Amino acid sequence: MSRTSVIPFGPQHAAFLEPFHLKLQVEEEVVVGAEMSFGYNHRGMEYAMAQDFKRTQFLCERVCGICSFHHSSAYVQTMERLFGIEAPERAKLVRMIMMEAQRLTSHLLALGHIAETVGYENMFMQFFREREEVMTLVNRISGGRVHYSMNAIGGIRKDVTYEGLKDIGETMDRLEPRLLDLRSIVRKDRTLRKRLIGVGVLSKEAAFDWCTVGPTSRGSGLPHDIRLTGFDGYGVNGVKFRPIYYDEGDCYARTMVRMDEVIQSVDLIRQGINLMRDGPFLNAVKGNPPAADAYGRVEAPRGELMYWVRGKNEVQLDRIKLRTPALVNVPAVSAMIKGARVADVGPITVSVDPCICCTDR
Amino acid sequence: MSMIVSSLKNLLSKPDTVRYPFERTDIPSNNRGRVVWDMERCIWCRLCEKNCPTKAIVTDKAAKTQTITRVRCIQCRTCVDVCPTNTIAMEPVYSEPGPAREVHTYAVGMKKGEYTVGLMPLSERDETRLRKR
Repeated sequence: MSRTSVIPFGPQHAAFLEPFHLKLQVEEEVVVGAEMSFGYNHRGMEYAMAQDFKRTQFLCERVCGICSFHHSSAYVQTMERLFGIEAPERAKLVRMIMMEAQRLTSHLLALGHIAETVGYENMFMQFFREREEVMTLVNRISGGRVHYSMNAIGGIRKDVTYEGLKDIGETMDRLEPRLLDLRSIVRKDRTLRKRLIGVGVLSKEAAFDWCTVGPTSRGSGLPHDIRLTGFDGYGVNGVKFRPIYYDEGDCYARTMVRMDEVIQSVDLIRQGINLMRDGPFLNAVKGNPPAADAYGRVEAPRGELMYWVRGKNEVQLDRIKLRTPALVNVPAVSAMIKGARVADVGPITVSVDPCICCTDR
Repeated sequence: MSMIVSSLKNLLSKPDTVRYPFERTDIPSNNRGRVVWDMERCIWCRLCEKNCPTKAIVTDKAAKTQTITRVRCIQCRTCVDVCPTNTIAMEPVYSEPGPAREVHTYAVGMKKGEYTVGLMPLSERDETRLRKR
């Protein structure tokens, strides 16, 4: 007769980049249930953000390091709706290009992380080498490796020069063949396939029930992408885009969604550069946010990121609410790991790309 | 390409990393780094002090000094953008980590790039915060 025992997984664990705790109920090698606890990284961001709407655009970038530009884009988009203005086309395209560049860095980090978790250090190094190319590119364009500080309410703070755009295009030309090589390795490689296929299956219905977003839901066959509807930059300007999704719902499907989206991001950056026209890049706002509410959403690397803001005719905001993608994706892990072996818990958890900075904030 | 071919290629190619403290890394010229003042041009408009999101800058018009708390500075480039006379510039360096709660003071009459180092004072903001507790 088997007896249930409890194994703690985390808060400090070699597979996790950030602290969160999984309490696994185990029968021999098989996980039968799990409890999660968060809050090791809580910083009281929502309260701090409501203190001054101008300073918030720098603070919201600091919620998370690997989707910082998505956070500030979602915030300025929300504030633009609150003020009733619209950013110029050029600013929207610059935001789109930088968001895709950050998606490249984030997805390459997630892919490297999953390669490292299954014990594939060689591939981890290769993903991080390509990531460094994008990191130095965004450093050249914006002046910062992690926090770009390019957004302003009503547009962007500083225009991207012609040389900058040329630099982005040339880097993408250099990067694309290497990324295609990596994709063919991930597709064919026996080690990765044996380790990830059929592990941590989340069915389409379960993905819908757990409200998963982003690559986690697209790996389960839900073609749900905010880039189609949410952010102004995509679609309205003639950017051709189609969400990538796989039906299998296992760790390998989620990894392949990320791998294909990396190639898609290169394509979207090229489309953005081609659509770029000279023109104004900032419609500056005056005064304090009116006493109304507005929301904005973008597709962050991990899924739908939503900001909701209510002003009160003062410098302070009445309330600001973030709904981050990791917050809804990470609980779905408890549905994925039922029936999995203890050795697979690491790759399953990492395959949803948990960002605890976003979750706890 | 398979993993074996890729591994062999990497084995025969040069490393992508640099031996950082001994070799220079290519930091781009527009990298947001350390904030420096050219005090000859300052007109004491206090725009940098008002616009700094972390309140790292303190302008003293009477003593003719600009004081920056380095640990508070988040390298957002707001002060450089708002300065009407291009007094403030950013050096393209990576910010050095450190626990020191020290302030750097730029005063009129100093040479370019020169500053005095002092300890971080308990500003009014900190005092009110302490009193609340």
